[in-house]
Amino acid sequence: MDPYAIEEVATISILSNIFEAPVTLDKDLKVRPALATSWENSDPTHWIVHLRHHVSFHNGNPFNADDVLFSFHRIKQWARSGFRGEMAMISGIEKLDAYTVRFTTQKPFPLFLQKLSRLRILDKETLRGKSDAWIANHPVGTGPYRFIEWRRGDRIVLHAYENYWQGAAAFDTLIFKPLSDSSTRVAAMLSGIVDLINRVPTMDTRRLRSRNDIRFFSRPGLRLIYLQMDQHRHTSPYIQTPTRTNPFLDKRVRQALYFGIDETAIVHYIMGGYALEAGQLSPKAVFGSDPTLKRPAYNPQKAKNLLKEAGYPHGFTVRLDTPNNRYVNDAKIAEAVAVSLAKIGINVNVNAMPKSRFFAQISRLDTSFFLVGWEDIDGDAGSMMSACIHSYDAKRGYGRYNYGRFSNTHFDKLFESSQEEMQREKRLALLQKSQILALIDSQCIIPLHFQVDLYAAKNSINFDPRLDGQIRAFYITPKVP
Amino acid sequence: MLRFILDRLWHTFLVLLAISFITFFIMYKAGDPVQLLLPPDATQAQVIQMRHTLGLDGSFFIQYKGFLLQLSHGHLGTSFLYGEPALTVVLERLPATLELAVLAMFFAILIGIPLGVSAAVHHGKWQEKIIMFFSLTGISIPVFWIAMVLVLLFSVTFNILPSSGRGTVYLFSSAFTWDGIRHLIMPVTTLTLFQLALIIRLTQSGMREVLSKEYIRFARARGLSPSRIIYTHGLRNTLIPLMTVIGLQFGQLIAFTIVTETIFAWPGTGKLIIDAIQNLDRPVVVAYLLIIALIFVAINFTVDLLYTFIDPRIRLR
Repeated sequence: MDPYAIEEVATISILSNIFEAPVTLDKDLKVRPALATSWENSDPTHWIVHLRHHVSFHNGNPFNADDVLFSFHRIKQWARSGFRGEMAMISGIEKLDAYTVRFTTQKPFPLFLQKLSRLRILDKETLRGKSDAWIANHPVGTGPYRFIEWRRGDRIVLHAYENYWQGAAAFDTLIFKPLSDSSTRVAAMLSGIVDLINRVPTMDTRRLRSRNDIRFFSRPGLRLIYLQMDQHRHTSPYIQTPTRTNPFLDKRVRQALYFGIDETAIVHYIMGGYALEAGQLSPKAVFGSDPTLKRPAYNPQKAKNLLKEAGYPHGFTVRLDTPNNRYVNDAKIAEAVAVSLAKIGINVNVNAMPKSRFFAQISRLDTSFFLVGWEDIDGDAGSMMSACIHSYDAKRGYGRYNYGRFSNTHFDKLFESSQEEMQREKRLALLQKSQILALIDSQCIIPLHFQVDLYAAKNSINFDPRLDGQIRAFYITPKVP
Repeated sequence: MLRFILDRLWHTFLVLLAISFITFFIMYKAGDPVQLLLPPDATQAQVIQMRHTLGLDGSFFIQYKGFLLQLSHGHLGTSFLYGEPALTVVLERLPATLELAVLAMFFAILIGIPLGVSAAVHHGKWQEKIIMFFSLTGISIPVFWIAMVLVLLFSVTFNILPSSGRGTVYLFSSAFTWDGIRHLIMPVTTLTLFQLALIIRLTQSGMREVLSKEYIRFARARGLSPSRIIYTHGLRNTLIPLMTVIGLQFGQLIAFTIVTETIFAWPGTGKLIIDAIQNLDRPVVVAYLLIIALIFVAINFTVDLLYTFIDPRIRLR
């Protein structure tokens, strides 16, 4: 429960009810004021943030600039902090007065506010000198709910904070239960012991829809599922071709995969219709996505022709690595991809494994072809391009997840220029141009689909799913009959 | 006797050492927990820093040596995931699992032995057929299926029992509150069925063998009452093999309640260990296996002691 320990949606979801940051992202991931009331740039690398008055922590301590400074130092310096990467570009903080702070960024940094939304504010007076274990077990924030009890593996209990600055939450008690098995989750919903569940398994959707005391929600989420392949070695470990060369080095082969996978069928049969075919790197709701880009229609003939042109008229054999417990229906998707590609002559052997082994293996580059996912959690397309598409550059922190080692210097330059562009319209144009260069012109990856998040809730509550999948109970209210 | 105990302790120590080494090695080879702990956009510097913080930057032998050193001070390491001592994390969840295992075994013995005896006594009659059919069914049906059917019937359709969770806990157990008992009924039933079926079969076959022995016929000839023959002379002699199996099964129950715990979202060690393995949380996995091994050893030791009570001919050496 240490708010800085790990960035993972279930944990963050619970913490977002207890803690707040200076700014927050609303359900569509637009920046909104929270513990800050306003902010301005004195110059492109300095941000002056004005803090809210009359806000108190759950133990009654007042909130002020010292707490922001304390939290910032802890998130940057604490050895086990999982947020240092998020905060890397923000280099310094100064207190101007009790309710004003000034942040410094290393370079002009257009995503400053999104990153600031991750800086959950802790109470300096309470936490100073306390051990890590104490902090983890005593979460004290300014949010709408205060922490009551955590029974490991069973439940986390929160109560509404009476003096919350936006007024007390509608529900007094909030209980989070970890129901990790999907049929258990559905049974709990059907039998009425819970009011809301997320991650409804696609095969149970019809069952939940048939009940008139339960409402079913689907919202296109952030996660893109895509295929990535070895694009840098001349002979790749898990590819067999007559000439022993790596066919993925040829752009036409990569394009053949894009045309040769029947994604419509995957969405329909594997995902039960709860996914959107992807024709680009980021879903529609994300800043930087391009409304003009559409996925080309499934065209096996064109794929075959491209393979022939590239010198592989009889295809080749390749192993596709995939996790089997990470994404919705992950291993099944990989099998469907194999079926599709068999029709254009590419023989795919699916190698499914648990996520812990999968990620260890692909991070060693011990793979030729693999299925992964990515979420633009800032609601900005730059995160994927920076981590998965940009050439690998350990020193500057680019391409850390670019395990296919795709590399295009034109794209790199163009994308880097977008990272310091403070004007929204210009930045949008740069991101869109970068995407065309990487995806359309070079086929850096093979996008498959965007996941759709599924929820079920009792009819007696008002619930509106967030784009990032977090559950913020303050915005859930009882339905007035 | 003392010699026996000392021997056992020495063996236990060797077993624990071997288990710790094997687990440590497998978890070392399984993958890199840092990859799972850090956010997707973490830098290389962070990875190195995190590895250092968790003590994962040395070679295998350096890491294992560090673990043994800690162990000699009574520490089993700090959980990567929870940031708390691994031993605390495991012990906190152990009562929930023990309570399921103990109750399941208790009911299995309580119901299973009389039914098994009855089946053996009524050999060839309808009572035997019904009991043996029931036990065959109990052995053949997979646990997860029973659990799901129970949930479907009692939670979803009739809505009389809670489908998951542990309910109100008092004195480390939910068996002392009504809410807790309601939560216990389905998981305990699920776990009991298989053990019950097994105990019935073992008791029945053991009893049938014993009842055909010379000394039973002699007892009959002496004109002893049937209940005395069955329980004192018959059952007592079947108990030795039965005790051995019950001991082993009890260990199994504690170690393998995973399926039941997952379906009922029961906050025991089964779910903990699955999560720990998936997240490569090595300290927790090692601590868990060491504790389970200790429990196994303790159960076997108890069973050995019980032998001497049941059958005075057995001496422990």
